[in-house]
Amino acid sequence: MTAKDDKHIGTLLQKYWDCDTTLAEEQELRDFFSHSDLPAAWQPYAPLFAYTREEQSLSLSEGFDERLRAAMEKETTRRENYITIRIFAPLLRVAASLLLIVGLGISIFFISRQNNNPWFVETYGDPKIAIKDATYALEKLSLALQTTEEASLQTIRVIDDLNIDWSALDSIVTEEITADSLEAVTQDRDTLNIGTFIPGGKKEKNI
Amino acid sequence: MKDRLFRLAYGIVRDREEAEDILQDMLLKMWSRKEDWKDIGNLEAYCFRAIKNMALDRMATMALRKTDAIEREREDFYFVDNQSPHREMVMKEQSLLIERCLRELPENQQLSFRLREIEGMSYREIADTLSISEDLVKISLFRARKKMKELLAGYDS
Repeated sequence: MTAKDDKHIGTLLQKYWDCDTTLAEEQELRDFFSHSDLPAAWQPYAPLFAYTREEQSLSLSEGFDERLRAAMEKETTRRENYITIRIFAPLLRVAASLLLIVGLGISIFFISRQNNNPWFVETYGDPKIAIKDATYALEKLSLALQTTEEASLQTIRVIDDLNIDWSALDSIVTEEITADSLEAVTQDRDTLNIGTFIPGGKKEKNI
Repeated sequence: MKDRLFRLAYGIVRDREEAEDILQDMLLKMWSRKEDWKDIGNLEAYCFRAIKNMALDRMATMALRKTDAIEREREDFYFVDNQSPHREMVMKEQSLLIERCLRELPENQQLSFRLREIEGMSYREIADTLSISEDLVKISLFRARKKMKELLAGYDS
């Protein structure tokens, strides 16, 4: 290497650090630093240019194009399916609208028909007959109510006549059932003669 | 062009498979948007930008699932053949050092350096790719080269 070359490279390198080199000059530097017999002063910078050369030589692996093609085909199928859905989307919208309209129509039809059916229908032509029939029905009801009331009063009267000691009866329920209390109850029953009292039967008879 | 895009992705993620994966994703996306191509001014810069963004995104997700095992490049270094000449080993070590130094640089400096030194792009092209001004590209590159110079000068002494 001549002194002139040496100087030239020194200048280039300085320009390189100052970012004043052109792309061609940078390539020149890279070529220069690829030589193994470098002057000692510039040895330290050799790895930098070696690094960039190494990185420049990187390329895609061989199967990449094949994989890309496969992925593209897959993507095309996916897109075609998507396009089919997109074409049919307006039709689907129309179908949904139609379904909604038909559903609403049917509902409205049934609702309006229900409203046309009156709850009360006039079956009597002559008001006088209607009043007569209504009076008859009400009298029947009144009579039935009266009978029931009388029967109830009769029952109450019979119970009152029995002179039941209610407090004794209450104590049977609340007290603990012991031999004594059982005896008392039996006694009470004997005195009151509850055993022979059949309310249902009496009621039947009174009515 | 594909190789250049691949190298940029690889420069960021430092993993061959991941880089090829990113490139494939990007090409598929571009291909599925063929109708938009006419609206893109500089398609090449657009592709580089897309690759850069996708690779940076991938880096973020990779960092999350990264285990603390030996890094791939360092692995090569640890298991280097004992019989290889001393000079080769030193070169390999220095290459690793440059790589590590580059990775520690801010994003703009690192990418400006890669696009200029490895892809041989003009300042204008780098500015378009990184969406920054030409002046900022020059400043970033200047700082990156300065850092490299300091690193290498210091390593030798």
